[in-house]
Amino acid sequence: MADTPDGGESLDIVLDVDLSKRTSELADENLALLDAHGVTAIDVLGSVGSGKTTLIMGMVAALKQRRRIAVIAGDITTRIDAGRIEAEGVPVLQIQTGGACHLDANLVRTALGRLDLDSIDLLIIENVGNLICPAGFPIGAHQRLVVLSVTEGPYMAIKHPVMVRQADVAVINKIDLAEAMEVSVEQLAADVRSVNPEIEVVATCARAGQGIDDVIAALGL
Amino acid sequence: MHDVTAAQQIARQVLVTAQEQGAGRVERISLALGAMTMLDPESLEFWLEQILRGTIAEGAQVRIEVLPLRVRCNACGFEGEAPVPDDPIYHLMPFVPACPECGAQGLEVLGGGECIVESIRVQRAEVGSADG
Repeated sequence: MADTPDGGESLDIVLDVDLSKRTSELADENLALLDAHGVTAIDVLGSVGSGKTTLIMGMVAALKQRRRIAVIAGDITTRIDAGRIEAEGVPVLQIQTGGACHLDANLVRTALGRLDLDSIDLLIIENVGNLICPAGFPIGAHQRLVVLSVTEGPYMAIKHPVMVRQADVAVINKIDLAEAMEVSVEQLAADVRSVNPEIEVVATCARAGQGIDDVIAALGL
Repeated sequence: MHDVTAAQQIARQVLVTAQEQGAGRVERISLALGAMTMLDPESLEFWLEQILRGTIAEGAQVRIEVLPLRVRCNACGFEGEAPVPDDPIYHLMPFVPACPECGAQGLEVLGGGECIVESIRVQRAEVGSADG
């Protein structure tokens, strides 16, 4: 108790609530929910324009005969990506973050509640185009796939070590443009491995369908 | 944008607790922020003030304690605090912690990611009005 300027009585209330920890707990709950329904979830991360949507379209096309797939597309605004993936004939749920630069476990939890989890066994989650912020926000996926493209320049891996370290598979996309961009795919791959020695690295040209099967194999799908 | 999201979550936590306790006004909000949260204390305070306008916590004093980055080095076994630059421009170039002893980057982060609502100081509605 303490006196306040206007003479009233004050009371200190201890909360001791760690909101970061709650984010992790929510992510764990999402994972448990997915496991209970036998669904594998992949969180796909990468900068704006790195080719996440095109890669996902390729993966869906290659997998949809043997896997029951749904996609969650996270975007700040617009349904452009969701519409593109829907053309592959799988259910797509759009999350518009309304300005937030990442998906979080709570947004994903809401999305999971709107999906029929018993009718799918693979959930691909396209995170918001951003290589930085999503690193701090686990959403509850079994694997994280990070997409780097050569058009982003030669330093993407070493500039985004937090994300690369958290990822299970790294895709180096748009390798058909490597020469024009004067970017060495080998060097980029070496950079990725120097930050995260455990990671699988796959080179792709998602637009042409090149390397998609390798991505699927690296994810064990 | 984290700062807005975090401020919203903190505000919700503060207001729900204050209402549960029958508080008439929130005078102070005490937070503890890990040095590696990518949250900027100044910006967080600003957004919190904005969000709390028109609520019983409008004008509450915001206290933010920054908790150090604590690491364990897998290379040399060092365990303790590691320095974090004062002014990290996270959105351009994220800061990568290195071991203060041997410089290795294979660090296990033990602490520094917290965003804790520690306590709030409230004025109880009925007591305040009786005194006034």
